[in-house]
Amino acid sequence: MIWEVFRQNQAGDYHTHCGNVHAPDREMALLFAEVQHGRRKPTNSLWVVPQEEIGEVDTEDAKFGGTTNKSYRFARTYNVEPAAEEVEASEKELTEAERKRGEA
Amino acid sequence: MNVEETKARASPREFSPKDDLPEEYRKAATRMLEFHANSEIMGAYLERPFIRKAPSLERKMAFSAKVQDEIGHGQLLYRAAESLGVKTRDEMLDDLAEGKGKFLNCFHYPLESWVETPMIAFFVDGAAMRRQATLKKSSWEPYAHAMDKICFEEGFHVKHGESILGELMNGSKKEQEMTQEAFDKWWPRILQFFGPTDDQSSHHDFAADVGLKVMTNDELRNAFLNTYLPKAKKYGLEIPDEPRIRENDDGTYDVVEDDLDWDEFFTIAKNDYEPGVGQIEGRKHAQDAVEWVRNALDEQEVLAAGGQSPQAAD
Repeated sequence: MIWEVFRQNQAGDYHTHCGNVHAPDREMALLFAEVQHGRRKPTNSLWVVPQEEIGEVDTEDAKFGGTTNKSYRFARTYNVEPAAEEVEASEKELTEAERKRGEA
Repeated sequence: MNVEETKARASPREFSPKDDLPEEYRKAATRMLEFHANSEIMGAYLERPFIRKAPSLERKMAFSAKVQDEIGHGQLLYRAAESLGVKTRDEMLDDLAEGKGKFLNCFHYPLESWVETPMIAFFVDGAAMRRQATLKKSSWEPYAHAMDKICFEEGFHVKHGESILGELMNGSKKEQEMTQEAFDKWWPRILQFFGPTDDQSSHHDFAADVGLKVMTNDELRNAFLNTYLPKAKKYGLEIPDEPRIRENDDGTYDVVEDDLDWDEFFTIAKNDYEPGVGQIEGRKHAQDAVEWVRNALDEQEVLAAGGQSPQAAD
């Protein structure tokens, strides 16, 4: 049985996918995840999830974000100085996301 | 964990659903999150008619995207709330429909004219974003995580709102006058967004002690005025003489509390304010109209679960 492994660097962080392990049950999957993924990289917590329990949709099936110009969803479109630091931070994140979408 | 231990450990993103938290903490966090989630939903309903009323295709699409975002924010926050184990999502949504769920004062007022939209989309959203950025440091990790995504999206909302304000205030004299009128009407309500002053706020102490929130009403009101008051002036809006706002030497502001209508504020807080009641009922009506969709999804979920009793559908 294949288990997908998600690792959290430190408390409060997100668990992000880091690989998978082959194990007969959850307990063994956790043990294998621990030795494979928790030994060197900073680790606060690991999740294991049976691979068959994961649903997936990818670019074969979906047009993420649509196919038409949706620049109106992005802060950069609006030509005003960000009113506050958190607005500026959001704009940076949005612009970065927009840029990466363009590259993909 | 007891209350004292919780206070001692309180720090950003410290507590998750795995922690054994005292009831006081879980109740206080539920109250904050439910209020926040309800506000996202009620705000979305208030702005929804402007998808139709917006004067250009670009504005329509932006309002449509924004309303969609806000409903999504409500969903994120109900998730973060239900994981506290105090109230289920269904209970929170039912309470909102029945007029028992509380939400932001500004969303109890009608939003009728296009010139009013930046009052919500720029000033109220800007005020909300000031607060939300601080909640990334909340001790309830699911709340902080919800804030990461909400703040990511919210920058578009605030800039879109500001863009409308800029357009109106650079428009015809008539547009400028109408926008000023809307500002005069909304300004006191926006000042009340952050609630009564600290010495009169009943819930702050505990929520701050356990790290659920990190800034007081007064600090947030100051932070808002520091950035948004100059913005209002920049666009040529005149700040009304009342409520009186005193600027102190240290860059902080004092709003003269007696100049604000606290009777109205507390009537709103009890969900007794007439226009707000209408908005609660309007949403209930919309909710009832699509009950068949939820029922169909519930049935589907029962089937998918092999006929066992399911969780209520989201």
